Amino acid sequence: MMPFERIRLRLRAALRRRAADRELDEEIRFHLEREQEKNVSAGMSDTDAWRRAYVSFGGVQQVREAHREVRGVPWLADLTSDVRVALRALVRRPALAGAAVITLALGIGANTAIFSAVDAAILRPLPFPDAGRLVMLGENNPEFNWHMESVAGANYLDWKEQVGAFQDIAAYTSGTGHGTLTGAGDPQLLTLQAVTGNFFTVLGGRAELGRGFVDDETWDTTHATIVLSDHAWRTHFGADPGVVGRTIHVDGRPTQVIGVMAADFTFPSSTVDAWYTQRWDRASRTEVWFRRAHWLRAIARLKPGVSVDEANAAFQVVVRRLQQQYPVTNRIMGAGMVPLHTYLVGDTRTALLVLLAASGLLLLIACANVGNLMLVHANGRAPEVALRLALGAGPWRLTRQVLTESLVLSSLGGAAGFALAWLGTRAITLLAPARTLPDSGVHIDWSVLAYTLAITTACGVLFGIGPALWSARRAPGDALKEGGRGRHQGQRMRRWGEALAVAEIALALMLLSGAGVLVRSLWRLAHVPPGFDPRRVLAVGLELPQARYDTTPKVNAFDDALLARARGLRGVTDAAIVSHLPLTGTEWTSSFSIAGRRPGEYGSEVAHREVGPDYFRLMREPLYAGRTFNVSDRDRSPKVVLINDVLARRFFAGQNPIGQRLTFNKVPDSSSVWGTIVGVVGSEHQISLAAEPRIEIFTPQAEDPSGDIYLMVRTTGDPMALLPHLRSILHDIDPEQAIVETHTLDEIVATSMARARFLTTLLLVFAAVGLALAVVGVYGVMAQLAQRRTREMGIRLALGAPARAVRWLIVRHALGMLVPGLVIGTVAALLATQALRSVLYHVAPTDPVTFVAVPLTLALSALVASWLPAAQASRADPAQALHVE
Amino acid sequence: MPASSPSADVLRGTLDLLILKTLALEPMHGWGISQRIQHVSKGVLDVNQGSLYPALQRLEQRGWVGSDWRTTMNNRRAKYYRLTTSGRRALGEETASWRRYVSTVELILGTP
Repeated sequence: MMPFERIRLRLRAALRRRAADRELDEEIRFHLEREQEKNVSAGMSDTDAWRRAYVSFGGVQQVREAHREVRGVPWLADLTSDVRVALRALVRRPALAGAAVITLALGIGANTAIFSAVDAAILRPLPFPDAGRLVMLGENNPEFNWHMESVAGANYLDWKEQVGAFQDIAAYTSGTGHGTLTGAGDPQLLTLQAVTGNFFTVLGGRAELGRGFVDDETWDTTHATIVLSDHAWRTHFGADPGVVGRTIHVDGRPTQVIGVMAADFTFPSSTVDAWYTQRWDRASRTEVWFRRAHWLRAIARLKPGVSVDEANAAFQVVVRRLQQQYPVTNRIMGAGMVPLHTYLVGDTRTALLVLLAASGLLLLIACANVGNLMLVHANGRAPEVALRLALGAGPWRLTRQVLTESLVLSSLGGAAGFALAWLGTRAITLLAPARTLPDSGVHIDWSVLAYTLAITTACGVLFGIGPALWSARRAPGDALKEGGRGRHQGQRMRRWGEALAVAEIALALMLLSGAGVLVRSLWRLAHVPPGFDPRRVLAVGLELPQARYDTTPKVNAFDDALLARARGLRGVTDAAIVSHLPLTGTEWTSSFSIAGRRPGEYGSEVAHREVGPDYFRLMREPLYAGRTFNVSDRDRSPKVVLINDVLARRFFAGQNPIGQRLTFNKVPDSSSVWGTIVGVVGSEHQISLAAEPRIEIFTPQAEDPSGDIYLMVRTTGDPMALLPHLRSILHDIDPEQAIVETHTLDEIVATSMARARFLTTLLLVFAAVGLALAVVGVYGVMAQLAQRRTREMGIRLALGAPARAVRWLIVRHALGMLVPGLVIGTVAALLATQALRSVLYHVAPTDPVTFVAVPLTLALSALVASWLPAAQASRADPAQALHVE
Repeated sequence: MPASSPSADVLRGTLDLLILKTLALEPMHGWGISQRIQHVSKGVLDVNQGSLYPALQRLEQRGWVGSDWRTTMNNRRAKYYRLTTSGRRALGEETASWRRYVSTVELILGTP
């Protein structure tokens, strides 16, 4: 017979063990009967003949065992029998098994769902060849508190040419732009990304059609070329392979499509429809602005064999040289590098790791809970185990049986948890704020499956190991005496159960404290006044293309027409134009100086926005002094500016700022343009609710108008209802102009808190489930205790003890678990919440309110959970209690 | 269980061979095989009859013996074992090897 065939037969035999056993039994019976008949015919009595037949056969049981041994794969047979026994035991106690499976499913499901997010956002490598050698470069300026900020064009070019440790450096403009695609039906808005010519080469992006850019094209100002993303190629060009080489019109300018990138290349964002080159003029390299303006993100590829540290050392040499060479712009301009993966993961890392830790705590609570259930289960089976021990079953065999049982249980929980995790990832994807998770999304893949398997097994071992070891360690005699009566657990088991309850209380306290400080932080954040009234305001983003709006009068004519029409809409109370929205961190920044003061007194970075008339009235912001802008400010000379009150308080304390003059140069010279302060307005949070308002200078929008503007309208009704009207107004004024983005200010405020809310919501859910599990766990332990002591209670009551005293006995026992649980949990929580420090807003990780409220809540819940069994015990009828066996 | 005699120990190792030889005559059930071995060996080889069954299972798994349930002459169900083709070949090889073994032992015992 072929070996394979033999294995198949053995496996089948092992699986069909019961059938084979029956067959053998029939064979043996036949044999014994024939032998008996033979003996009878030889003259023996029936009984003698039967006994004799038995003796000459040898031990029937031994033959059976030997037969099985030959027949099957023994460990497999044992395993299948163990699993079958375990399943049968669980089916006999459906409530217990169900509770355990649900508990585990919650723990494993939460953990797996969070892990899949961690896997997608942190663990998965970037989709670039040899991505480990890519680093992000950024500029650091201690004066402005810059860390890894955008890079100046001239600095980028010097690094590219002078740092030998890099194979090459590519750069892309920080932030995307938009262009209107015309000539193919309706105008369509494209999201555009400006890059250097070597962008695709450095990252290792592959074109699926045509080609990517080459290095020299950074400087090509004559040919407009574009590379499409796979997505844009499919949605806007019907996946037409003939698109390469074709000339399309972007913002009215003829542009040649030279390639289409492969679908997996979506850097820096999946929203990018097309890339175009920087098209820098070689003459600008020597101009000051080219080293003063910071607008690039630079990515370097390390030479093979060069470590990040070595490359950084070489990089710093060049950075220091540039500081000396260009003191005007670079005197204290440092630079740093971070592995690209680390840079892109960014803040998400903390949030996700906090969630992973929280779901881990939840899983541990679930394990402790199931561990307790397993004790109840083991207790119920003590007589059976004792009997098997007495009959000579090996302790290892019994240990393995109990362990198999817990593994079967954890597998069922794991399977249910995996299904739950699948739903969980959907929920996380929906709940997660933008840019928290990668574009590719969160998926259940093989690594997630492997993770689930690992934690499932670990859980099974964790909650099963106690009962598994002790069930077999007991001396059979003792076990029979005790277990036979089914009243007592072993001392060790009882201790284990109580230790589990203590652990549950401590773990729940950690989870609740984490959620507690986060809730306090979110509450504080939600009560931060943003500096404006966000209700019923719609903001519509527009990008007027340079090609068609090349002069100030053209832009102003467009803005004026738009505002006039918008103000005429029904329900609109105010309309205004602003260059950047608050709470988005997108405003310009600059250095500045005040006339009549020495440089160095004010080495600060100032925010800068352009606003039109009525902006501050629309935003319902206070005017502290002077006036705001009006229509005639656009042509005024000397120029006028507004400052916010943070700037006024910091730089004009005790003085009247009105009439003072400012310029956007740190060291003013003859070319500096000065503006006179005509008003002090309220302060908006420019970056986020959590970041204090920065000092800010406003200039009149119409003076030197940017084409990138937001039209703001405040209405008496639903702001979104205005959108169709605004769209038709826009079409009337300029049919080729599309709306780039639309927000309500309420939405902007909500987005600013989105990440904090996401983290807090998930942690709160985990904490609530954890608390529920812990309370159920404590209840379970106390209920068992009360049941165990029913007889004792009965005697006490019979002897005249008041019910109150009896209840106190039980509650005192609960306190014995509660107090150590609270102490351990508080100490651990105080340490654990330190990890939250970076995500907390104006709340200490050791927030006293949280650390009083949480232990109190937990203590109260646990006492209620132990009061119920205590109350029941104290109502025990003495006569009945004494009969309880 | 009767105390095992030296002869029985030897038999245990060669039980497979005896079963094959017995089945070479005709298909037989377990009890029949035990009776036959006892009878032919004139009662010298009196072993635990039970040990026959694991041995039969082993032979069956090697593919030397096949089995099926049949009705006996007294109209009772019994499992009959029969020699397969490869069993028949194995019997030849095992017999030759046994003979070699015995003659070698003979040779050793025969030398003074």
